[in-house]
This record gives sequence, structure tokens and C-alpha cells, in this order.
Amino acid sequence: MGTINSALSIMSQALDADQAALNVVANNVANANTPGYTEETPNWQENQPISIGGVSYGQGVTETGATSERDRVLESRLDQQQQLASASGSRLTALDTLQTLFTPDSGSSSSTAGDIGSDITSFFDSFSSLEATPTSNSLRQGVLTAAKALAGDISNAAASLNSQSSALDQEASGVTSQVNSLTGAIAQLNQQIQSTSPDADAGTLEDQRQEDLSQLSQLIGINQITTQNNGMEITTTSGQLLVSEGTNYQLTTGMVNGVTDFFVGNTDITSQLASGGGSLGGYLTARDKDIPSALNSLDQLAYSISTTVNAQNNSGTDYDGVTGTAANPLYIFSQPTVVAGSAASMSVVMTDPNQIAAAGAGDGTGDNSNAIAMANLNSNTSTIVNGQSPTNYYSNFVTTLGSTVSGVETENTAQNASVTQLQTQNNALSGVSLNDEASSMTTFERSYQAASQVFTMLNSIMASALNLGDQTTVS
Amino acid sequence: MRVDPYYVTNLVGSLDQTQASEQQLSSELSSGVRVTSLSQDPVGSGENVLLLNQIQQDDSFTTSSSLVTGQLQVADSALGSVVSQLTQAISLATSANNGTMNSSDVKSISSQISGILDEVQSLANTSYQGQYIFAGGQTSTTPFATSTATSPAVTTYSGDEGVNELQTPNGQTIQLNVPGDQIFLGAGSNSVFGALNSLIADYSSGTVDTNQAVSDTEALSTALNYVSQQRVTIDNSITQVTAASDAVTNVQTQLTTAQTNLMQASYATVSTQLSLAETQQTALEDVIAQLNSTSNDLFSKL
Repeated sequence: MGTINSALSIMSQALDADQAALNVVANNVANANTPGYTEETPNWQENQPISIGGVSYGQGVTETGATSERDRVLESRLDQQQQLASASGSRLTALDTLQTLFTPDSGSSSSTAGDIGSDITSFFDSFSSLEATPTSNSLRQGVLTAAKALAGDISNAAASLNSQSSALDQEASGVTSQVNSLTGAIAQLNQQIQSTSPDADAGTLEDQRQEDLSQLSQLIGINQITTQNNGMEITTTSGQLLVSEGTNYQLTTGMVNGVTDFFVGNTDITSQLASGGGSLGGYLTARDKDIPSALNSLDQLAYSISTTVNAQNNSGTDYDGVTGTAANPLYIFSQPTVVAGSAASMSVVMTDPNQIAAAGAGDGTGDNSNAIAMANLNSNTSTIVNGQSPTNYYSNFVTTLGSTVSGVETENTAQNASVTQLQTQNNALSGVSLNDEASSMTTFERSYQAASQVFTMLNSIMASALNLGDQTTVS
Repeated sequence: MRVDPYYVTNLVGSLDQTQASEQQLSSELSSGVRVTSLSQDPVGSGENVLLLNQIQQDDSFTTSSSLVTGQLQVADSALGSVVSQLTQAISLATSANNGTMNSSDVKSISSQISGILDEVQSLANTSYQGQYIFAGGQTSTTPFATSTATSPAVTTYSGDEGVNELQTPNGQTIQLNVPGDQIFLGAGSNSVFGALNSLIADYSSGTVDTNQAVSDTEALSTALNYVSQQRVTIDNSITQVTAASDAVTNVQTQLTTAQTNLMQASYATVSTQLSLAETQQTALEDVIAQLNSTSNDLFSKL
């Protein structure tokens, strides 16, 4: 049979439960803007009813804690997309800087100075002009001026590319300390989570761990593997272990061939990191693939132009009647020995315009056949730069670079859109909605009021029972 | 079904995008240039390099051709003067050949023809901007000199056979000079100096060997025709240069139009897009303001 005492104790338990639920609501509202916080809902558990003489009597309710509304699959999907978006984002930033070196000449009178394409044309055109009057000093001087402009702009572009590469190198190295502190924090959280809640969602600790994972995947491409007892293993996308349960492995840097390489332990994982994702992946792709490709094209251009123009000039006769020889060559540009680095070191060594060999070998100084040959080095049928004329080669280089950047832009936009969509889904599930909290709060408040009303009622019934009809003993 | 409580953040993201696109369109409108970076139009940028190259080449050729025309016209007028000098020499020789002159008259004819030879020689040694134009490739040394050591005197040529050509942008070649010996020291009776020197020798003693003198006068006529023929080469070159220059100018105009269309912004399109972007931005701002107003959640109604 039910007693008044048992009813009172049920009601006081109800009051506790409602109190606890209101605490959960308050906690949600307080943390509405905390990054990584997932909304908690209180868990209600009916107490085991007892059975006396075949009649069962309820025992009230207990609030058994709060559950975080979280979808681990959704969160790890979001992390994967963020890796990709960060990678293409940082690669795009680097590429945008790279392509400003080659802004297209608009052709109007206020066109960009320093355009390599127009420098190439001006240089070979100066020989075309020389054809008309090979002996003119001003036209010869024009050749040297055009040569200096070309060499200057190519070497400047190469220098800018080299300095951009160093800047990317530094940015990439800077990421390692952040990565290490995050992996350390995750390893610690793993230990705590495994010891405190190995079988259930770890609430706030799990929130922190997920937040750290999210930040980590923006920096570096990772794979997450859940292990037993709510533990976690983290590897790079290529499989190198970074965190194993409670231990983390540091990412270290070292200089190899003048650039910074990345190691875990003794394994050099730089090339895998470049294709792995995260902003580190983006920086490394730009540093190790995009910039070297552009530099190589410039080197090829500089090397071919320098060596063929030098050889052609050396095979003619200059204004002083001197024909070039191997011992005393008539070189316009400094002669490069290897292709690599020839763009950065391209310069004009000839100072005397008389040394431009407009005449064919052994011909009189008024002859222009060598000037014609020089001008033809840039004709449509010329093959001096990898089977193309310098202008055609530069045109293809510009188109290829532009297409690469445009491709990365498209990729980045698509990935960002995907991230936004996943973020929205995740927020819908785990974000604190103030309207929901307001309605929950009202509900719990009402049930608290109801419980306290019942308590008051029971209290006065108790008093009546104690007084046994006589109103004056207990009130 | 639950809703993302932070959806206003997404709207703000869209607002950023419309602002960025407004900026891009405004800068296009103010600079007039459509393609400001390679990634906006990679193929167009490559095309642009080729077009500008062609346009610059055409421009450079137009300048060269006007310089070259000057040189060719000087050559042409020198040869014109040579023809009139030779005509005069022929009439002098003819008058000496008719047998009506006395010895001192014949001697004076000889010295007049000698004067004509000097004149023709100095025309053959014409220079343009400090370079001898009838010397082939050896333009810094005087091509013709006459030595009176023998009788008749001998005029020698110290230039070479170099012929310069000018290349046009469409691959045509135009001859720029004719070597002096080809014009003035042609083979046999085509040699101007040979004929003149012979005539001077014929009349120098005062007595005329009629057969010799007549044959030398005929040689001079032949040589004059020969010079006129050589002059035709120069005239042809002048015509070719002018024609090539006109053709190149036409092509350059078309290419410039093509390049402009490729690279310049279409003001109509850009203005329309800009006004659409502005409208979108105003609309977004209003929506955000409305959604963000504080009387919109349940708490304020409790």
C-alpha cells in the first residue's frame, strides 16, 4: 500500500529530477556560442516499481545525466571535407600570388610594364628593325636595350618565384608546432575518455576531442580510426601514425636540399603530406609542384634564348669586322651552362653595340643576313624552345598556368560549398537552438511547479493525519 | 526536423560573396580590362600573347619600311642622275664623231666627258646616312676609284656582291640594294665606266679614230640601257615596300580590333551585372536585418 511518506519521497525525487533537467537547459543556453559544444538533453529514467502483495507501486523518476546530440559519422565527414577545402584554399592563395607575376598585357597604352611576352617580341623585333639599316648605331643600341629589358624581367620573375617558395616553406614549418600541440591534447583526452567513459559518449570531453580533431584536419590531412573503449587512432592520409590512444608522435622538420622536409621519427613524409590535404598539404603542393613547374618553364625559356642568340651572334661578323670564335665569343647574354637556374641568372654581358653581328660570317659590315637569322629565331616555324618559338612557348605556358589556377578555384568553390552544407547539417543536429531551450525550460518549470504543488498538498494531508482530526497540534 | 540555429552565418557568407563580386565588377568597369588575371581566361590570355606579338611585329615593320623607302629613293634618284649624265655624254660623243670638229674641240669633248665620268663616279659613291649604298656589303669603304696609270683609265670596284633583303611579317623578301659592280661595271659593253674611260681615251689626243669611237659610243648607249634596267629593280623594291606596308597596316588594324575585343570589358554587360549584384546585396542585408531582430525568439516572449 502506498504511504504518504513514499508519495512525499517520490515528489522530492521529482523535484530533484526537474532541478537537474533545468541545470542541463541552463548549461545549454550558457554554452550556446561555445565552439564545438554539442547540445545536451537530459535522460529520464523511471525508478523500478516495487510489488507488495501483488500490487505494484511506482517509485518515481531519476534524472540520470545528459546525453550529447552528436553524430560521429557526420562529424568525421565534415572533417574530411574541411581537409580538402583547406588544402585547395591555401594552394589557391599561393597560386594567386604566383599568377600576378604574369598578368596579361591588356595592350592599351597603360598596359602592365614588365610583361615577358612583349619583352620577347620587342627583343626579336629589334633585329627585324636592324635588317633595314644594319650599320645604324641607334638601332644596335635598341637591340641591347631590348635584351636588357627581357633579361631583367625574366630574372625578376624567377627571383620572385624563389622568394615565394621560401615564404611557403616558412608557413609550412609554422604549421608543425600547432599540429604537435593538437595531437598532444588529443592523446591526453583519449586517456581521460577511456578511463572515465569507455562505453558511452564522453560528453564535454568528447566535445573537446572533436573540436581538436576539426582544427587538426584543417591543418593536416588525417584519418580517424575509433578503437576499443572509445579510444582513437589518428594517422596521416598516407598511413603514418600520429596519435595512438594515449601517445602522440611529434611531427618534426629538417632541411633537405635547401627546403624544409617533414618527418615523423626518421621517416620523411613530405611528399605524402603534399597530396594528403589540410593547409599543410596545400602549401607543400604549391612549394613542391606549382612553383618548380613555373620556374622550370622560365628556365627553359631563358636557357634556350640565351644559348641560341649567343650562338647566332657568334656565327656572324660585327661592325668592327670581327667574327665570333670559341676563344673570344661575341655573346650578348651571359652563357648558361645548365637549364636549372638560368632564368634567375639571365643578364646582358655585351656593352658595345658594335659587337652585334648583323652581317654574315666574312661578309661586309653592311650585310644584314645574320640580323635576318636572329629575327627568325622567333618566327612561327622556329623550334628553339622545346620545339616551339619563344612567343609560342610563352603563350602555352601562360595558358597552362591559368588553367591550373582556374581548376583549383573551381575545386575550392565546390569544396567550400560542401563544407557549408555539412556544417549546416551538423549544426541542425548538435547546435543549441534557443527556441528549443526556451520551450524545454518552460516544460520543466511547469513540472517543477506541479511537483511542488503536489508536495504542498501531501504536506497538508500529512499534517491532517498527524492531527487525527484535531486541528491544533500540527499545522 | 531541426533547423541549423546558425543559418544567419551562411547568409553573411553570401553577403561577402556579393561584395567581392561587386568589387571585381567595379574594377573591371574602371580599368576597362576584362581579363585581369590568367585564371579568368586562360585560353584568352594565351591568345593575347600571340596577338600582341603579331601586332608589335607589324608595327615594327611599318617603321622599318619607311626608313627603307628613304634609302631606296636615294638610290633611285642617284641612278636617275646617272642616266641623264650618260645621255649628255652620248650626245657629246656623237657630236665628236661626226668629223666636223677640230683637234682642240675634240680635246675639250674629252675633258667634258672626263668631268661626266667624275660626276658618275661620285653618284656611284653615293652614301646614305654615312653608308655607301652601291658597295654591296662593304658599306664603309668607298666602292669606286679610277686609276689613270693606264690609258684608257681603269675604274675598279672595291665593294662586294652582298645583297640585303628585308623580311615582311608574311614572309615576303624585298631586295634592298644592287651591288655597284652589277650596275656600273657590267660585262663587256654593259660597263658604264668601261665605255666612258674608252671614250675619254679616244678623244684625248685630239684625233678621232672613228671606228673605235663609234663602237665605244654604241657601247655607252648599251651601258645606259643596262643602267636603266638595274634601276627597275630598285623601283620594284620601292613599290613592294609600299604595298607590303599597306597590307601590314590593314592586318594590324584587324588584329588590334581582335585583341581589344578579347581583353576589353564589355561595358554593357559589366554594368548590368553590377546593378544585379547591388540589388542582391541590398536584398540580403534586409533579410539579415529582419532575421536578426531581437523579438524573434521564444525567450523574449516568455
